[in-house]
Amino acid sequence: MSEKPESYEVAVERLEEIIDRLDSGHAGLRETLDLCREGRELVNYCAAELDAVGEGLKELKLDDLAARLDSSVDPAGP
Amino acid sequence: MELPGPFPVGHYAKGLQGWMRERPRVQLIGEVTGVGRSRVQAYFELRDTDGAVPCAIWLNDLEKAGLPEGSLRDGAEVVIGGGLDYYPGGGQASPNFCFRATHVRLAGEGDLLARLEALRKQLRAEGLFELQKQLSRPRLPRTIGVVTAESGAARRDLLAGLARRGWAGTVVWAFAPVQDRHAAPAITAAIQGLAARPEVEAIVVTRGGGSLADLWAFCDETLCRTVAMLRVPVVSAIGHERDSTLIDDVAAVCCSTPTHAAEAAVPLDCLDARRDLQRAAGSLRRAGERAVGARARHLAALARGPARALQRERGGLNQKIREIRAASERGLAERARSQRRIAGLVLERARRRGLERAASSREEAARRQASLERGAEAGLRRRREALRKAAVALRAHDPERTLERGYALAESLDGESVTSAVAATAAGDVRLRFADGKVRAAIEAEE
Repeated sequence: MSEKPESYEVAVERLEEIIDRLDSGHAGLRETLDLCREGRELVNYCAAELDAVGEGLKELKLDDLAARLDSSVDPAGP
Repeated sequence: MELPGPFPVGHYAKGLQGWMRERPRVQLIGEVTGVGRSRVQAYFELRDTDGAVPCAIWLNDLEKAGLPEGSLRDGAEVVIGGGLDYYPGGGQASPNFCFRATHVRLAGEGDLLARLEALRKQLRAEGLFELQKQLSRPRLPRTIGVVTAESGAARRDLLAGLARRGWAGTVVWAFAPVQDRHAAPAITAAIQGLAARPEVEAIVVTRGGGSLADLWAFCDETLCRTVAMLRVPVVSAIGHERDSTLIDDVAAVCCSTPTHAAEAAVPLDCLDARRDLQRAAGSLRRAGERAVGARARHLAALARGPARALQRERGGLNQKIREIRAASERGLAERARSQRRIAGLVLERARRRGLERAASSREEAARRQASLERGAEAGLRRRREALRKAAVALRAHDPERTLERGYALAESLDGESVTSAVAATAAGDVRLRFADGKVRAAIEAEE
């Protein structure tokens, strides 16, 4: 798997499938290695997603966002 | 125009007044706005989101109602009883229509619940309760929007809930009044503003506890219809009880506290998720190691197989060698014994045969001895006769005897017989031997 997962939950769901398959012991060597590689990519993706919401709470005000948007579309704005 | 009349308007106005006063008396419930007082009566509008009616109450009726001082004010939810009235005016006075209240009381929980129930029934019938619940909610949103009062405790509780989740993404605050008749439109606008932001993945609407009257803004029909139609999931946490306000019905999820709302907006416990992820990574690592390690061990075992098989075969061979050796030793001993026995028998037989043969030989010798003795004499006689005959024959061939008869024998000077003319010519000189002596002779070639 080289595409970015659709979402965190999709990635986790696939990761669980992979681990279930590996735990079943029915996967051959080639499949096992492929699944491990895909699993590692999913783990990295999920870890990055968790990091994105783990680096410190950011608080914004809707009014400020709206004002920023207005100023960015207003050619006479700052 | 085929209409009746024309009638004098004053007469018609009085008729209208009478007709209106004959209308059935009813109770109305709504929010008081625009309160004013004249010398004899108080007037106001009773309003809800769908419309309004101008109302008036004589001051003496108002006093009889026994309302707390100042409770008939803008924003108060009241129930009034009365009927339609019409003041026809006059030559100088303007006509006026109103709902003439004769009774008034502040709206109670029961009144609001009745209104709420009617609205709830209507929205449910329109299917508006289901729309939000069909939306998929991200388990790990990066950005959430929150509508609440800027100074309320709900804000603090919500942040505490998010922190408990281990979530530290982005919160977009949309502050709005949460308790007065301006609250519902402001909250509606805030929700719409948040929903318009593409990065906002979930919206929380929250405020602390209060009576149903305090929370009434969250039963606003326009607000609830707006929430129902949003494509962003809304989590409601209004008051301390679930399902008390109409927004709880239309929201994707309703919660009893802002803390719970935080957990509903971020369903994933980030702390647990990190642990789960570590476990998953460990499982993957072990699976990979198992897959390779186990096979490598198996291969190594297979590689050792031939050596083991050889060892096994060697052991088997050694065992067989030992067995053969033992068997051989046993066999040799046995054979030796057997051979000794056979040899004994053979020897015995040979000895017997020898003895028999010896005896036979002795007899044969004796027989031969006798035979020899018998034949010896005759033989001697035969040999003597033969010898005599040979001597006679020999004498007949003796050269000396020939020489005596007058022949000569030619010999070379070194004594060899010369028996041909060629040999004599070659020899040159010869010696002629006669019976009485020798002479030399020279050989000349025949002409």
